[in-house]
Amino acid sequence: MSDPQSTTSYDQNPCGIHPYGGMNQRAVHKSAVVVSHEPMALNTFRLRMTCPELARQIVPGQFFMVRLPGLSDPLLGRPFALFNVFYDANGEPTDVDFGYVVIGKMTHLLSQCQPGDELEIWGPLGNGFPLPDGRPLVLVAGGIGQTPFLAVAREALRLQKYGDPVRNIEATPSSVTLCYGVRSSGYLAGLDDFTLSGLDMQIATDDGSRGHKGFVTQLLAKILDEQSDKPVVYCCGPEPMMQAVAELTASRETPCWLSLETPMACGFGACFSCVIRVKMNDRDWDYRRVCVEGPVFPAERLAW
Amino acid sequence: MPELDVELNRLKLKNPILVASGTFGYAREMQAYTDFSRLGGIVPKTVTPLPRPGNPPPRTVETSAGLLNSIGLDNDGLDVFLEKHLDYLCGLGTALIVNIAAKNIDEFRTMAERLAPESRIAALELNISCPNVSGGVDMGSDPQLTEAVVKAVREACPHPIIAKLTPNVTSVPTIAAAAAAGGADAVALINTVQGMAVDWRRRKPRLGGILGGLSGPAIKPVALRIVYQVARAVSIPIIGIGGIQSIDDVMDFLVVGASAVQIGTANFYNPTLATQLVDELDRCLEAEKCQRVQDVIGTLQADGPVPACNR
Ligand SMILES: Cc1cc2nc3c(=O)[nH]c(=O)nc-3n(C[C@H](O)[C@H](O)[C@H](O)COP(=O)(O)OP(=O)(O)OC[C@H]3O[C@@H](n4cnc5c(N)ncnc54)[C@H](O)[C@@H]3O)c2cc1C
Ligand SMILES: Cc1cc2nc3c(=O)[nH]c(=O)nc-3n(C[C@H](O)[C@H](O)[C@H](O)COP(=O)(O)O)c2cc1C
Ligand code: FES
Repeated sequence: MSDPQSTTSYDQNPCGIHPYGGMNQRAVHKSAVVVSHEPMALNTFRLRMTCPELARQIVPGQFFMVRLPGLSDPLLGRPFALFNVFYDANGEPTDVDFGYVVIGKMTHLLSQCQPGDELEIWGPLGNGFPLPDGRPLVLVAGGIGQTPFLAVAREALRLQKYGDPVRNIEATPSSVTLCYGVRSSGYLAGLDDFTLSGLDMQIATDDGSRGHKGFVTQLLAKILDEQSDKPVVYCCGPEPMMQAVAELTASRETPCWLSLETPMACGFGACFSCVIRVKMNDRDWDYRRVCVEGPVFPAERLAW
Repeated sequence: MPELDVELNRLKLKNPILVASGTFGYAREMQAYTDFSRLGGIVPKTVTPLPRPGNPPPRTVETSAGLLNSIGLDNDGLDVFLEKHLDYLCGLGTALIVNIAAKNIDEFRTMAERLAPESRIAALELNISCPNVSGGVDMGSDPQLTEAVVKAVREACPHPIIAKLTPNVTSVPTIAAAAAAGGADAVALINTVQGMAVDWRRRKPRLGGILGGLSGPAIKPVALRIVYQVARAVSIPIIGIGGIQSIDDVMDFLVVGASAVQIGTANFYNPTLATQLVDELDRCLEAEKCQRVQDVIGTLQADGPVPACNR
């Protein structure tokens, strides 16, 4: 894995700043049948659908766009991170699922869809998280920002392989920790899935209804202070939380990757709507597209 | 098999299905979803003389059946376009229509001069209609300026010229006539309709650029009306744009008088649409027993009074 710090030029990659970034020339646009759809937590659902072309290629931290077919309102697709990939009896990847919170127009309608219904999807999109290496891996999730981390953890712990061609991790991280923060215990989603042998799950709730009472960043600070091996941090959650994690890791010179949840209109780089400020070599910053150059960025490259 | 090719004065296209500027990136972004060589043409994102960072986010907001945007012509400028994108775009087996915008006539002329030697370019589309660019004169709402800018570009390069017009004026036919007088080969109608979205609870505009341009199915009736008006008033070929998301939409535009169409916002939510529409057009014309696209263009039968505003 290349550390964020070790890349000297921000413009090396023709498609952007990230060694894994770019436009996926094998992305597909398909109609996918809903296989199952169930509650995961308060106001949170999990939806599984069949799309072998997507299931085969997608890697942890990548996302896809989902659209309700035939509707003009909502008009656009919405981005969702891969939660996990499922296989048929022959071991062929067939299905993907995602976990989502009901927030607005599209997710309200989505929450009513039934097995057998069809959704329009396109992907895989974005770069995904870097492959883990031997160093301790700390995953920091705020709220629904946890969704990318099931696949990350399963891959890091060698419980599952992803990608086409199937990718192999060089070395298992010496430890894998998930720091998972939510408002209150009712919002904890997918705890059964995250109960994996080798995964140390630490929970924080704002109200103290489960785990540590307080912010997930406090759990992270403790780990960074106590762990002797310098870890690599992957983080996804609300922006203020990601900023706090970026500051925390910067102050301890710990490599950190953030997965951003910028609103997106297309997901594949055509509209230039999903931009964020990224520090550049030749100027202070430039607007860069999160959908093709991210959603995962080295924390220190972001000019918040 | 119906013949799909169309002629817009000096611009010849293998079929009338194009993709609209700003909605198709620099084509690379669409490679996974599109068979470029099937399309009638590609119009990449607007190029300006110098790099522009674009407007602060949020840059888009979805509205009922539409999309508001204030991207602000985020682009790397003409030098980078020529160096990084032109060769790629010219190798896609379809007509490349380079869309340019500039602050004044001199800048437009200079850009046209720089693009003049590039014989692989099928046409230039002049974006004199972008509501997102402050600082420049709004050329597309002034008939004299429109005529002058088209004329300047026509004199500066051998390429066919398309003037892309804004709907945000009292009379688009007046501007279209001016573009024709300046020597445009065609007009493209319409760019986005100026609009706004607010979050009243926060007392804030929803777009970083405050005002934006509305696109998508919501504006199709406006676009169709404008194509109809211009087709009746001016003899210049028209490229219809606005809310197209199905073959019926394409046929609507052709019937009211467009010789070709551009697919815009629909590329974002149906990235395989453009290629698919080429197939569907073929089938639709066949079913209509039309030998050529020309047989449907401007075939609307509208009796009754000529609309008052139609000069
Ligand atoms: C890469 C990526 C992965 C994601 N993965 C997941 C996931 O796994 N699970 C999940 O639940 N969510 C995920 N999201 C977020 C998800 O896409 C949104 O929650 C979803 O789009 C909401 O759609 P909606 O129609 O229900 O809400 P909308 O009606 O679109 O509104 C959602 C909220 O966002 C606000 N909003 C809308 N547009 C903007 C804008 N342009 N700028 C600022 N605020 C805006 C609205 O005011 C509202 O509060 C991801 C986002 C990204 C970019
Ligand atoms: C996000 C976005 C960016 C656009 N950028 C440009 C641009 O750079 N230059 C231009 O001439 N038109 C631009 N347009 C306008 C479109 O080319 C088109 O004229 C308009 O969107 C109407 O068509 P539609 O309803 O099919 O989208 C843009 C539109 C959108 C939605
Ligand atoms: S969402 Fe369209 S460019 Fe990123």
